[in-house]
Amino acid sequence: MDPRTERLQHVTRRHFLREMPAGLGAVALASLLNDGAQARDRSSGDPMALRPPHFAPKAKNVIYLHMSGAPPHLDLFDYKPALVKHSGQDCPDRFLEGRRFAFTSGTPKLLGTPRTFAPRGESGIWMSDAIPRLHDVADEICLVKSMYTEQFNHAPAELLLFTGSPRQGRPSFGSWVTYGLGSESQDLPGFVVLISSGVQPSAGQGAWGSGFLPSVYQGVQCRSKGDPVLYVSDPPGMDRSLRRRSLDTLNELNALQAEELGHPETSTRIAQYELAYRMQMSVPEVMDISRESPTTIDAYGAQPGAASFANNCLLARRLVEQGVRYVQLFDWGWDFHGTGPGEDLRDGLTNKCATMDRPVAALIKDLKARGLLDETLVIWSGEFGRTPFREGRTSGGNILGRDHYPDCFAIFMAGGGVRPGYSHGETDELGFSIVEKPVHVHDLQATILHQLGFDHERLTYRFQGRDFRLTDVHGHVVDELLA
Amino acid sequence: MIVRSLIGTLTATIALTSGALAADGPIDFNRDIRPILSNKCLFCHGPDEAERKADLRLDVRDDALDASKGYAAIVPGNPDESELIYRVESEDDLDVMPPPSVANPVTEEEAELLRRWVEQGAEYAVHWSYAKPERPDLPEVSDPSWPSNPIDHFILDRLHAEGLAPSPEADRATLIRRVALDLTGLPPTPEQVAEFLADPAPDAFERLVDRLLASHSYGEHQARLWLDLARYADSAGYADDPSRTIWAYRDWVIDAFNANMPFDRFTLEQMAGDLLPDPSESQLVATAFHRNTMTNSEGGTDDEEFRSAAIVDRVNTTMTVWMGTSMACAQCHTHKYDPISQVDYFRLYAILNNTADADLRDEAPLLPLFTEEQLAHKAEWEQEAASLRETLATATPELKEAQHDWERAVLAGEEPFPDAPKVPEPILEILRVDASERSDEQAKQLADHFLGVTPLLQAERSRLAELKGKLAPHTTVPIMRELAGDDRRTTRVQLRGNYLDLGEEVAPGVPESFHPLPDGAAPDRLSLARWLVADENPLTARVVANRCWEQVFGQGLVPTGEEFGSQGEPPTHPELLDWLATELVRTGWDLKAFFKLLVTSSTYRQSSRVDPDLLERDPANIFLARGPRFRLSAEMIRDQALFVSGLLSPQMHGPPVNPPRPATGLNAAFGSAIDRETSTGQNRYRRGLYTEWRRTNPYPSMTTFDAPNREVCTVRRERTNTPLQALVTLNDPVYVEAAQALARRMVREGGETADDRIRRGFQLCLARDPSEAEREHLLALVEDARLAFSGDPEAALAMATDPLGPLPEGAAPDELAAWTVVANVLLNLDEMVLKR
Repeated sequence: MDPRTERLQHVTRRHFLREMPAGLGAVALASLLNDGAQARDRSSGDPMALRPPHFAPKAKNVIYLHMSGAPPHLDLFDYKPALVKHSGQDCPDRFLEGRRFAFTSGTPKLLGTPRTFAPRGESGIWMSDAIPRLHDVADEICLVKSMYTEQFNHAPAELLLFTGSPRQGRPSFGSWVTYGLGSESQDLPGFVVLISSGVQPSAGQGAWGSGFLPSVYQGVQCRSKGDPVLYVSDPPGMDRSLRRRSLDTLNELNALQAEELGHPETSTRIAQYELAYRMQMSVPEVMDISRESPTTIDAYGAQPGAASFANNCLLARRLVEQGVRYVQLFDWGWDFHGTGPGEDLRDGLTNKCATMDRPVAALIKDLKARGLLDETLVIWSGEFGRTPFREGRTSGGNILGRDHYPDCFAIFMAGGGVRPGYSHGETDELGFSIVEKPVHVHDLQATILHQLGFDHERLTYRFQGRDFRLTDVHGHVVDELLA
Repeated sequence: MIVRSLIGTLTATIALTSGALAADGPIDFNRDIRPILSNKCLFCHGPDEAERKADLRLDVRDDALDASKGYAAIVPGNPDESELIYRVESEDDLDVMPPPSVANPVTEEEAELLRRWVEQGAEYAVHWSYAKPERPDLPEVSDPSWPSNPIDHFILDRLHAEGLAPSPEADRATLIRRVALDLTGLPPTPEQVAEFLADPAPDAFERLVDRLLASHSYGEHQARLWLDLARYADSAGYADDPSRTIWAYRDWVIDAFNANMPFDRFTLEQMAGDLLPDPSESQLVATAFHRNTMTNSEGGTDDEEFRSAAIVDRVNTTMTVWMGTSMACAQCHTHKYDPISQVDYFRLYAILNNTADADLRDEAPLLPLFTEEQLAHKAEWEQEAASLRETLATATPELKEAQHDWERAVLAGEEPFPDAPKVPEPILEILRVDASERSDEQAKQLADHFLGVTPLLQAERSRLAELKGKLAPHTTVPIMRELAGDDRRTTRVQLRGNYLDLGEEVAPGVPESFHPLPDGAAPDRLSLARWLVADENPLTARVVANRCWEQVFGQGLVPTGEEFGSQGEPPTHPELLDWLATELVRTGWDLKAFFKLLVTSSTYRQSSRVDPDLLERDPANIFLARGPRFRLSAEMIRDQALFVSGLLSPQMHGPPVNPPRPATGLNAAFGSAIDRETSTGQNRYRRGLYTEWRRTNPYPSMTTFDAPNREVCTVRRERTNTPLQALVTLNDPVYVEAAQALARRMVREGGETADDRIRRGFQLCLARDPSEAEREHLLALVEDARLAFSGDPEAALAMATDPLGPLPEGAAPDELAAWTVVANVLLNLDEMVLKR
């Protein structure tokens, strides 16, 4: 063996522990290094230590798939034959009076879907031909066709969906969940964010920020280029054995401090450096999808080395498998106004959906095959719906698009104890308003928290003299959505 | 219960142990009873009429004693006749209060306190923070030799009562690093340390403090803290988060602290500088304080909605920053715990509702700012420009002649002035009209065009363009401007906080339960500012004193610095807090004097060493039987690494800069690329407070160390301890570069032997020499690292130079690479990221 390597390997962690001075620091340190779980207690300063929810949870983890821009629900999930029949007619005044739309004024024309709909799976959930691969998992999903919000601009609507308030400054969903539950994973962040299609969601980092919760609960963005987690790579010129060697010295010096001054936080810091060291190995490993079988990679339509929503779906499964609590995906390009061929409800939607339906269907099947679907709640949504009429600016052209619409939209969930093969709620025959079982964004939040074992009214944090919660002062658990 | 805050619960528990629980002593309403009423009763039986149940109000004594229904909630001296006591003690689900459905029962201990309180006469007291602080006498202390100043009397008295004793004074090296970090945000240089250690005078420490308070770094450090409160950022917020030019305000704050502007003046200028008589430019810049609210320019949004959101933010921020009073609740409904009604809220809103800004993308109104050079030459340049404009507009006979020639040439299809743009079609059309047929208007257009392109006037035109550049403002800053006359807005209560759902009209004013505005004072921002710092104000001096205390000791005397109302925690040392508040006012709001008072106390100068007994007794160091010790802020950690490595730029002020940050490769929604060009030269190494602060994409390594995004006012940053922080200081190129520079400095300044270099590294980083054991460990490391690099020149070169740049002449790469590894360890020491 090369004498240099030998010398470096000689000074291992065990050696360091054996040689360390006895006393408070050493004892605390030994327990930290030998049994991480033992030290993972919030009173010792580990904010990610596990804590129990209010009651037995149905789901342990969340994978939230967000289609930034708001997909056209009337062309995917909410079939309106009457709208098709009246397509091209003036939109009746009663649907327009006193209303503001983002990009439509005057009297727009009703727009029936150009897609073909049919009931799918044994459960007979209606879906369009734009999402053929999701037909295969129709019996796994719980579709909500009666979602609504108050916000009709992207940023406030996304903030409402992810933080419970349309303005910046509140903690996001994943922050609440990791704050409430801690993290199972010892060497990965508890809340991971993955972004595809090259653009941040409209809400910006506010969609995964920690607001007034400690910043340790904010989402950690994993990147497909450069370091997957910021600064996870050692500096150029430093290899792993030298990093290990230098960390050993750092630990030794810090242990001397702990010894001399007696502050437990020093021991916590030593433990965090060890965790960082493990993350340096585990993050690149978990982010490397080439470790998956070719069959799995193909099922998702993923491509090792590329940056895509398909890759992110596969990564999401790998992450929850490793104990990551909350994985948030954002995919840009669902704002179907019809301002370009990519935003057309015919070919444009077919093409966009082709990048989405295959990996989402594969994710649900894959989780199920691995026995993870029961404990993992998958949610697919946009931030609002789209109008039953053509968007004002593009109504004269050949490209079919729809404007923003907050009154009705559709989302679906799978796994995590939600009712499979179930379709919830109805809109009126033209799709302008909900006629049955409305579900507000805050109700969805309350329901998701419920599946994780929380009473949404009791998951609170005191800030500026008030106990804040994700659902603000609203929200009801929708029992019918639960298995 | 889920943790309320990482430190909050702990301190609450400790504070209680010294309460009335232990003995049969007298009940103190504020200490023992108010928290129970506030947390368990007032939601339904408090100030908010809309939520009030059974028409019963428990926060007002007369109402609680009212027996007009045949029984009373409270019968003083007679708990068994008191409905309140029956209800909280009842085991009947239908009678017990709070009702079981609320799942917030009164504990046995609390019920016992209530019973004893009623027994003792059920005396109420105004919430402690709403009564004006009275200057207490100094407690007599057991050891008169320990106190250095009045602070120590209060601390020692309490320590004695708790059966604790103070720690010995910290050694001088520790002290100088501690106080330099506290006052300037930077560690001391080895030269400053040597000077202080060699100073035998009894007032050596005091003079050190004076030197630190006089340095420019003091203002930069204090400004950083104030900017969290002011929610200062270099972007406007919301979805596309466009850049905002407002750094002149940041510089104003730095200068105000360095000039030791009294805090009451500091208040007036920021809240209402524009309303002061004959306001100076600097006083107008100060009003940008409230222009740090976010603006929304996303397509399709309603400007009035976001203008209203900005006013709401101004109300909340004002009351939080000055009075530690959270108003957010009262925006939507009358406060449930504190005597602040929704109408009170909109009284303040009305005061702030009449400035000209209106959520516009251009951030109008803006104040243009000029450099001193510009101001010195402005008149002369303007005069010259005016005369040039005249020359350029005057057709002399010579020019008229030239115009004729030009016209002929153009008509002949030539290009007489090849450098000028092509003659535009409308001018050609005029040319085609016979000269005698042209209207006056056409003739003028033609002449103007000619004068604008003729080479005969090129020199004048160039000079005018140059002057325009010289006269353009150096920068601009958004300011407050009061609306006048018909433009003034009326304010109505916004029902449930909705700006479209309006109720009764509200006149401007201050909350009714506080001291009124002086007779005859106009209810405007200036009066509000004066009211905030008025002698009668019970809160402001306490809040400011508490914040300064928290800055130095790590935790406020009121642990919830953002909340002094009944939902906040009570002070751990109430008399000390009141003494400090009155002292701050007595000295004319002199902040430098106040900080000097804090850091020259014996309390501050104690060693921070702790033994297991004391740690168990007082883990959060509430009683201060030891010196303060806590993690540095994000900016301090960065500034310190650059400072000890010799990279930090001393340059102050100016536009924000962009030190290296990883590329995201992403675009903002509907916006441009998120990534910025890295600043070059000195701007790569400026103090953290000059880093461009973008709300939706904050500088990542600062966020990792708990810097807020500054969307709203932040009173207190958390201090977490996470693995992502380790990755930053180990691997972020900013810190790797600092390690490389520190290594070169250790080698250059340390001397020939490894021992000397390690000693130099310790002196630079920690203001002390290494212990024998520390030295041994580092010697072994440098040897191993050198060995590792000796066979790998490529790795050695990368380690020593990427990203700092080429090695000094004659330096061996493996040698500097090895020292870089050592420097990287030093920058990551626990001691390094802490003040201790």
